[in-house]
Amino acid sequence: MNGRHVLFAVAAAALLPVVAFLVIILWMGFWQGSPGEPVVYTLAHYRAILTDSFTYKTMLNTLGFASISVAVSLIFAVPTAWLVERTDLPGKSWVFTLMAVSTLVPTFFTAMGWVFLLHPRIGIINKFLMNWFGLEAAPFNIASIAGMGWVEGLGLSSLGFIMVVATYRTMDPALEEAGRVHGLKMWETLRYVTLPLTFPGVLAAAIYIFTIGLSAFEVPAIIGMSNKLFTFSTFIFYKMQPLEELPSYGVAGAVSSLLIVLALLLSWWYFKVLRFSSRYAVVTGKGYRPQLVELSPRGRLCAWLFLGFFFVVAKVLPFLLLLWAALLAYFQPPSMEALGKLSLSNFYGLPWELLLAGARNTLLIMLTVPTLTLMLCMAISWVILRSGFKWRLAFDGLAFLPHAVPSIILAIAAVFAALFLLRDAVPLYGTLTIVILVYTISRISFATRIINNSLAQIHPELDEAAFAGGLRVFQVIRKILLPLLKPALVYAWLWMALLCYRELTMASVLVTNQNNVTLPMIVWGLWLGGSLNQAAAANLVVLVFMLPAVLLYLTFGRRSRFEEAM
Amino acid sequence: MISLSGVEKHFKSGPQTVAALKRIDLEVRKGEFFVLLGPSGSGKTTLMRCIAGLEKPDRGNISFEGATVFSAIPPVYVPPERRQIGMVFQSYAIWPHMTVAENIGLVLTHGQRRIPKGDVKERIRHVLSMVQLDNFGDRPARLLSGGQQQRVALARALATNPKLLLMDEPLSNLDARLREEVRSKIKKLATELAITVLYVTHDQVEAMVLAHRIAVMSQGEILQIGNPFELYRGPKNSLVAEFFGSINWVRGKLLDLHRVETEIGPLMVESSNGHTGTVVVGIRPEDIKLAAPSTESENRLQGRVLSSAFLGDQVIAEVKINETTLTVKAMPDDQKKVGEISVHFPKERIVVFPASAPVQEAALQ
Repeated sequence: MNGRHVLFAVAAAALLPVVAFLVIILWMGFWQGSPGEPVVYTLAHYRAILTDSFTYKTMLNTLGFASISVAVSLIFAVPTAWLVERTDLPGKSWVFTLMAVSTLVPTFFTAMGWVFLLHPRIGIINKFLMNWFGLEAAPFNIASIAGMGWVEGLGLSSLGFIMVVATYRTMDPALEEAGRVHGLKMWETLRYVTLPLTFPGVLAAAIYIFTIGLSAFEVPAIIGMSNKLFTFSTFIFYKMQPLEELPSYGVAGAVSSLLIVLALLLSWWYFKVLRFSSRYAVVTGKGYRPQLVELSPRGRLCAWLFLGFFFVVAKVLPFLLLLWAALLAYFQPPSMEALGKLSLSNFYGLPWELLLAGARNTLLIMLTVPTLTLMLCMAISWVILRSGFKWRLAFDGLAFLPHAVPSIILAIAAVFAALFLLRDAVPLYGTLTIVILVYTISRISFATRIINNSLAQIHPELDEAAFAGGLRVFQVIRKILLPLLKPALVYAWLWMALLCYRELTMASVLVTNQNNVTLPMIVWGLWLGGSLNQAAAANLVVLVFMLPAVLLYLTFGRRSRFEEAM
Repeated sequence: MISLSGVEKHFKSGPQTVAALKRIDLEVRKGEFFVLLGPSGSGKTTLMRCIAGLEKPDRGNISFEGATVFSAIPPVYVPPERRQIGMVFQSYAIWPHMTVAENIGLVLTHGQRRIPKGDVKERIRHVLSMVQLDNFGDRPARLLSGGQQQRVALARALATNPKLLLMDEPLSNLDARLREEVRSKIKKLATELAITVLYVTHDQVEAMVLAHRIAVMSQGEILQIGNPFELYRGPKNSLVAEFFGSINWVRGKLLDLHRVETEIGPLMVESSNGHTGTVVVGIRPEDIKLAAPSTESENRLQGRVLSSAFLGDQVIAEVKINETTLTVKAMPDDQKKVGEISVHFPKERIVVFPASAPVQEAALQ
C-alpha cells in the first residue's frame, strides 16, 4: 500500500456517499414503511404525486419562481457587467467587491427584510401606498410567486453578474473595436456585435441561475411556506417534516427523484451551451486592455443611479427594515410615534443560551467542513489530473454531481440513511457529525473545481521532478503542490466557511435538536414561530458574528479566484 | 545499464488508439552518453518517461543493471522515486516557491536517497559549483533566467549521485548561443562524472556533438542505432538519411550490382545494398564535386549552375542535370559562375534504397 493507493482510496471514499445518496433517493421513492416495520415496495408514491393536482400546481409555482428569478437577476446583472467590464465608469472595482460580498449575505436575511417591506398586511410600502392613494387592498403581495421570484432574483443577481462578467472578459474586444472602426455607433456595436456574441454566455448564466431557482429553499421557506405557497423544495421539506401527519418519505423520494432528473438535464444543457459559448472566447495576451467606452457625464449619472438603485433595493433596504423591526416589540411603519417605542428589548429577550450553542456548533462546522472538504478534494483532483488512472473521468463526473443535485435532497438522503440504514450501527441522526458530513459532501463539486483549475496550471513536470528526485507521493503533495496551491486553497477554505455559516437549506432537514442547531436555524425557528421582530434581531446578531470571517475573506480571497470558481 | 525489451505503449485519443511505442528493444551501456533522436511525435519522450517510471508501458520489460523496474507480466512496477535516477525536464521544473538551495536540498532531505543532514549544505555547494552557480543558493528560483534555471535543474538532478541521468530536450528552451555553450558543458560534465546519460532531442547537431551512440526514432520505432559517423555515412534507410542533414534523391533503375540508370544519367555505386529494380539513390550536397579535375571519368555528368549563393565558408549551388535540380555544397574556391559545369559523384558516397519509402516519394515530388 503506497501513497498513490491511499489517495485513490480517499478519493473513492469521498465520492462513494454521493452515489449512495442518489441510490437512496431513487429507492426512497418506491419505499413504504416506518422504523421497525417490514418494508414494502410500491409505485403508489409516483401514482399519488402524478395524479394529484397539487403536484402540478407546485411545478408551475416552481417554474414560474425560477423564471422570474432569472429575469430579475439578469436585468441587473447584464448591464452591471457591461458597465464594469466595458466602460470607464469610475469606482468600478468597488462594484466588484460589493457584488462579491453581496453573494455572502444570506438569502433568508434579505427575504425577511422584503416581508417587512411588501407583506400585504404589515409591509410598509403597501401601507404607505394604501394611505396615500386611499387603496382598499395592498397593491403588492410578496407572498406570491412573482414576489418570491423578485427576492430570489435580487439575491442571485450578484452571481449572475460574476458569470456574465467572465463572458465579457473572454470575448475578444477586437471584435467590438472592428465594429467601431468601420463606422458602427456604440449602440449599434452593442446591438449587432456585443449582444449576439455574449448571448451564449448569458444563456449559460440563465440556465445556471434557473437550476438554482428550481431547488432554492430559503426564499420559499421564509416567505411562501407560512402562506401555503409551495415550490418543489419546500414541498419536499414539508413531506419530510409535516406539522400534523407522519413524514411521508416515499413522496419526498419520488418528488426528489423527479427534481434530480430535471436538474441533471439542465446541467447537461448548461455544459452544452457553455462549450458553445467558449467558441468565441479568446485568451488575450498579457497587458492587453480593450478600449473602454467613454461615458458622458449624463451616462455616468445614469450608471450610478442604476447601480445605486440596485444596491439599495437588493441589500440596503432589506437591512434597514430588519434593523427597524429588530428595535420594535411589534412591527409598525416608521412614524414619530414608532420612534418613541424603539428599544433593545428584542435583543435582551433573545434565547442567548441557544444562540451560544448555535454559535459553537456553527463555528465547529466552519472550521471542520472546509478543512475536510479540501483534504478529500485534494485527493480527488490528484486522481483526476495527475494519476493517469483509466477511470479518472468518472471521478470528475461524480465530483460534479453534488453540484447538480439540489442540496436539500442530499440532506434528505442522509437523514433517511441515518434513520433506516445506519440506525443501530452508526447513530448519526440528530448529531453534529451528520451536519458536517453532508455539508462536506455538498461542497465537493466546488472545491474540486477550484483545485482542478489551479492544479491544471501547475506544470506536471514540477511533481515529476520531485518523483525523479526520490520524493514519495505524499511528500510531493506536501512540499510541492500544497505550497503552490496555497492561494487557491486559502480562498476556497474561506469561501466554504462563509457558505457553511449561512447554510439554511440543508440544516432545515439535518438539524433536529440543540446538539446540532446552527445559527441560521435559530433565526428561522423564531421566524416560523411567529416572533418576526425577535427573528430580525437574531438575524442581525448572526450577521455581526459573520463579519470577522467576511473581513478575512476580503483580505485573502482574491477576486480572480472568485470568478474562476463560478 | 538499462535494457528494454518489447516495450509497447498506446495512447487513447478519443475513439482512436495511437501506438506511441512499438516493440522497442534497447540496451544502454554503463557510462554511455546515449541520445534518443527523432522528430516530435516520434515517441522519444514517451520512451524516456517509461524509463523514468513516469509512464507505464502496456507491454514489455525494463531493467536497470539487471534488476527489473518494469514488467507487464508478471506485473512489476518500481515508481520513479525508487529508480535512482536524476532527471532534467524540458521545462526545467524548478519549484518556483523555493530558493535555489531549497530546490536541491529537498531531494537530499526528503527523497528516497537522502543523505545525512550535516552533509546537505556541503553537497548543495558542491553541485552548484559544478554548474558554476556558486553563490546562487539563496536566490528565489522564480527570479532565475532560463539558462540559470537549466543549470539548477542539472545540479538538482546530479545532487543524489544518480546512476542514470535523464535529460528531456534540456536545451530546447535556450537561445542559440547559450545552447552551444551549455551543450559543451554538459558533455564535459558527463565525461568527468562518467555517468550514464540518456538524452532526448530533435536536434541532430546536438545529438552528434554529445552522443556516443544515437537511436533514431520515428513513429514509435527505433530506425537505427549507431554512433554519429555510422548514422551519417551508413544510414539503414532513407528516413535516417533524411534526418541527418539534407540529401538529394534521384530516381533510378539498377542495371546490375553497381550500375544505376538514373534520371540524371548513368551512375556507378559502390554497393546496391542488395536491392534490385526501381530504386532511389541519395547523395549529400557536400559530397557532390563541382568542376573537379578531369582525371576521373567515372560518374561525371554535365550540368548547369542555375544559381549559387556565397555563404563565406561554403557555396550553395542549384545545379540542373537533365530535368532534375540538385543542391550542391561546394568550397568557396570552387565558386563557379552560373553556366555549364561538369559534376562528379564519388561512388562511395552514394546510397541506394528501394523506391517505395514514403519520405522519398515526398522528397521526389
